[in-house]
Amino acid sequence: MSHKIMGIDAYWMNFYGLMILTLIEVLAVGANLGPTAEGIGMTERQITLWILTIIAVPKFIMIAAIFMHLWGENDSGILTLTALFPAFFIIIMVLFIGLTHPDAGIGLPDWCRPGNYGL
Amino acid sequence: MTFGGLFTFSEFDMWYLPLVIVGIAVIGAGLFVWWRQDMSFDGTYEPMSAGVPFKNIQIRKVGMWVFLMSEMMIFSSLFSTYMRYRQGIPRCDTVFNRGLFDPVTNPDGWQDGVAVTCFEPASHLIASSWWHIAPGAINTFALIISSFTIVQALRWAHKPVGSVDEEVRRKRVYRYLGATTILASLFLTLKMIEWFIGFHVPAIDLIGLHEHEIHSLYSEGYLINNDHYQHHDYVDEATGAHMVANIQVSATLFYVTTGTHGLHVLVGIIGLAYLTFKAWTGAYNPQSAVSIEYFGLYWHFVDLVWVLVFPFFYLY
Repeated sequence: MSHKIMGIDAYWMNFYGLMILTLIEVLAVGANLGPTAEGIGMTERQITLWILTIIAVPKFIMIAAIFMHLWGENDSGILTLTALFPAFFIIIMVLFIGLTHPDAGIGLPDWCRPGNYGL
Repeated sequence: MTFGGLFTFSEFDMWYLPLVIVGIAVIGAGLFVWWRQDMSFDGTYEPMSAGVPFKNIQIRKVGMWVFLMSEMMIFSSLFSTYMRYRQGIPRCDTVFNRGLFDPVTNPDGWQDGVAVTCFEPASHLIASSWWHIAPGAINTFALIISSFTIVQALRWAHKPVGSVDEEVRRKRVYRYLGATTILASLFLTLKMIEWFIGFHVPAIDLIGLHEHEIHSLYSEGYLINNDHYQHHDYVDEATGAHMVANIQVSATLFYVTTGTHGLHVLVGIIGLAYLTFKAWTGAYNPQSAVSIEYFGLYWHFVDLVWVLVFPFFYLY
């Protein structure tokens, strides 16, 4: 790959971007976000999770697209589809659990709680 | 899956052992065939896929992506299990904040010395201070840098013949691959320090730093079989009562997920050591550079998984 992003080599640009995003991630956990969270009606833990999730997504895409060559190559399209194929099964799995136990998001059935495995 | 069956509900079941052996044998045979082909691979014959939808794409590249798909399913199952238990079991600090049990005024409270089942994320220990988080944070940077060094090795191996001195190419490729190997080894070393060893922080008067110890997760009692875990935060100041917790689920999820990732790093170190040795012999050129590219896909995947493991298991 010899692509450029904003006139800079794509690998180097990706590397800089990943380092900066990781630094923000670590700082977000160390920072006192309590007052900010209160201001928008959330807990500090919730706002931290949002920040971490929002940062993890572009990091994930940057590694896959640039370092794993899923962007800008002749075979990028079909290989991206190949990489996304498991997503189908993951969605089915999540839906299945959700449909089986409507309260899956907030509670667990007794049989998968610690101490009740033998039931 | 077979390993899961082998240790179903913490009990060893011999009936699954043959399946495990067959699985390991298939993986071993696959790796052996790959290695045998790669040892003699000089770039003159790279088999291409002839069928739809991968027509004219290198078969080994397609094979690597299919392998990575199966890897995605493994880590997806670990992540979905983590998410489900994390949402389904109350956090230990939430349980502690309910206060001491009282049959009339606080029936949901905890009792001194009676273990409560709750979710104690490893981040409660790891993200408790900058020093605690240091090994995980350094590891994150190490993996990102290693992803970069391996693409640099590929880039130098790919440079057209004549555009670069062959000795310079050889040195650059094996040095970048060697750096990747060192960074991967650093990752596992720091993980061992974090899990089992801990480290000493010396006093630095200039920045007002006091001498103290950072304990390992092991010495903190964060263990998969700990049903009487005590954290120094879970003490009622008024009465001195301790809340003890059964953390078997949370600790197991942490160690299995990060351990599976660590195992992938270990396999990566073996592969990287082989690639580095091969690069040292000067075997890589624009035609044979694809071997680095295919292994690089695996290595980037290991980095990719860590991108999710680090925030959700170490920070949150």
